[in-house]
Amino acid sequence: MRHRSRSFLRGTAVALALALAATISIAGQTQSPAKPAAAKAAPANAAAGKAYKAPRTPDGQPDLQGFWTNSTYVPLQRPNGVTKEIYTPDEAEAAIKAAAARESEQTEPGTTADVHYDFTQFGLDRSQSTFARNLRTSLIVDPPDGKLPPVNAIGQKRQQERAAARKAAGGQYDAVENMPIGSRCIIMGGAGPPMMNAGYNANYQIVQAPGYVMILTEMIHDVRIIPLDSRPQQPAGVKQWVGLSRGRWEGDTLVVETTNFNGKNAFQGSSENLKVTERFTRTADDTISYRFTVEDPQTWDRPWTAEAPLAKTDGPIFEFACHETNYGIANILAGARADEKKAAEQKKGSN
Amino acid sequence: MRITLAVATAAAALLGVAQLHAHHAFAAEFDVNRPLTLKGTLVKWEMVNPHSWFHVDIKDKDGKVSTWMIEGGSPNQLIRMGVTKTTVPVGTELVIEGYQAKDGTQKAVGRNFVLADGKRLFLGGSAGGVSDPAKAK
Repeated sequence: MRHRSRSFLRGTAVALALALAATISIAGQTQSPAKPAAAKAAPANAAAGKAYKAPRTPDGQPDLQGFWTNSTYVPLQRPNGVTKEIYTPDEAEAAIKAAAARESEQTEPGTTADVHYDFTQFGLDRSQSTFARNLRTSLIVDPPDGKLPPVNAIGQKRQQERAAARKAAGGQYDAVENMPIGSRCIIMGGAGPPMMNAGYNANYQIVQAPGYVMILTEMIHDVRIIPLDSRPQQPAGVKQWVGLSRGRWEGDTLVVETTNFNGKNAFQGSSENLKVTERFTRTADDTISYRFTVEDPQTWDRPWTAEAPLAKTDGPIFEFACHETNYGIANILAGARADEKKAAEQKKGSN
Repeated sequence: MRITLAVATAAAALLGVAQLHAHHAFAAEFDVNRPLTLKGTLVKWEMVNPHSWFHVDIKDKDGKVSTWMIEGGSPNQLIRMGVTKTTVPVGTELVIEGYQAKDGTQKAVGRNFVLADGKRLFLGGSAGGVSDPAKAK
């Protein structure tokens, strides 16, 4: 076993729980971390959706309001070697167990991977929070093989151009602008659209008002205000990080179409001409079926569709003021300069 | 109290194991060859995102006190679990195992936060419990 802390964890977990409760009163913290609120989620959604009648807002919309999470262990693409589309509940349980074990595995001291805080100590291990159950073997439901369609020639050319531009700009740690946008606290993967599991703090709040739906993403506080009044889309020149969304109800399903992306937050290598169509259907008190279709002829020759259920979770959404006092960027740049200085001194010494 | 700065001589095993949740490249910020153990007193906890910063006063063997800044995880999830500035107040004695900043300043990533009696500070649950049918309800 390559675990520094595994035996410690095993040997003291119960004692720790008691001691923590006694010494620092961690309210609400338990040793039964998983709250799989969406145990009945997908693929039974369709059947459940027919039987279930969503509550209504005062103005008559199906009520999607509340706090939701899309945290999941199901990968976007079907793992190699898995041929079935839907797991049995036992198989899904085994897959979750394996993924959870990998996630909580302790790193080897003295390795690059060990230079990090322990996720299990900061509640970032997914099993420590609510996550959405899904019997699917991949979030992608179409193409039927559960894999992303191949990137077409236009998309490949763009990816090469993007790579060349990055190379021309210099090393990743040469300038703030060269660092990933997530590290720079500009936007993270949870915002979308499509809204993808952010890994941790994968929480959303939906609020409905007459004519509007608002979706707040916890990480990092991105908001989409979606008008439902069939207003025309803005001109193509008006672009945003999260695009511009327009919504409508089709029966009890909220359909949201988003275009006008600025292209700087490419989704799976997409272009700024990405179009995302999301479908939200409340299928149970604790579940929203969330399906999205991605179209971008400049990246893929065919649309593709995924399903990632939202499970009800506890609020509130906490502020995620990411850039304030973000020491990380300065420290990383200082680290790179220190490395350069050290390398220069070593070179000088060897001459 | 004492400060221990054990500098590893072994070459880092550059396995490049991907950290699923890593917000940024911690190995670019902190030095794998500068593991350390710090024992001190919490004097300030910056509950800021994306990463908490714990300011800890460390006394060296001559009694001189200096403040170190220790990077940890997002405060949001801690708050959600009930870990707050009230439950971990200023004055808490901590032992921190981690790695020092590459630029040699008094900053470190806190690999483990341990209370004075040897117990982990923030251990929030056991992933093994996720598949216990009795608990999966």
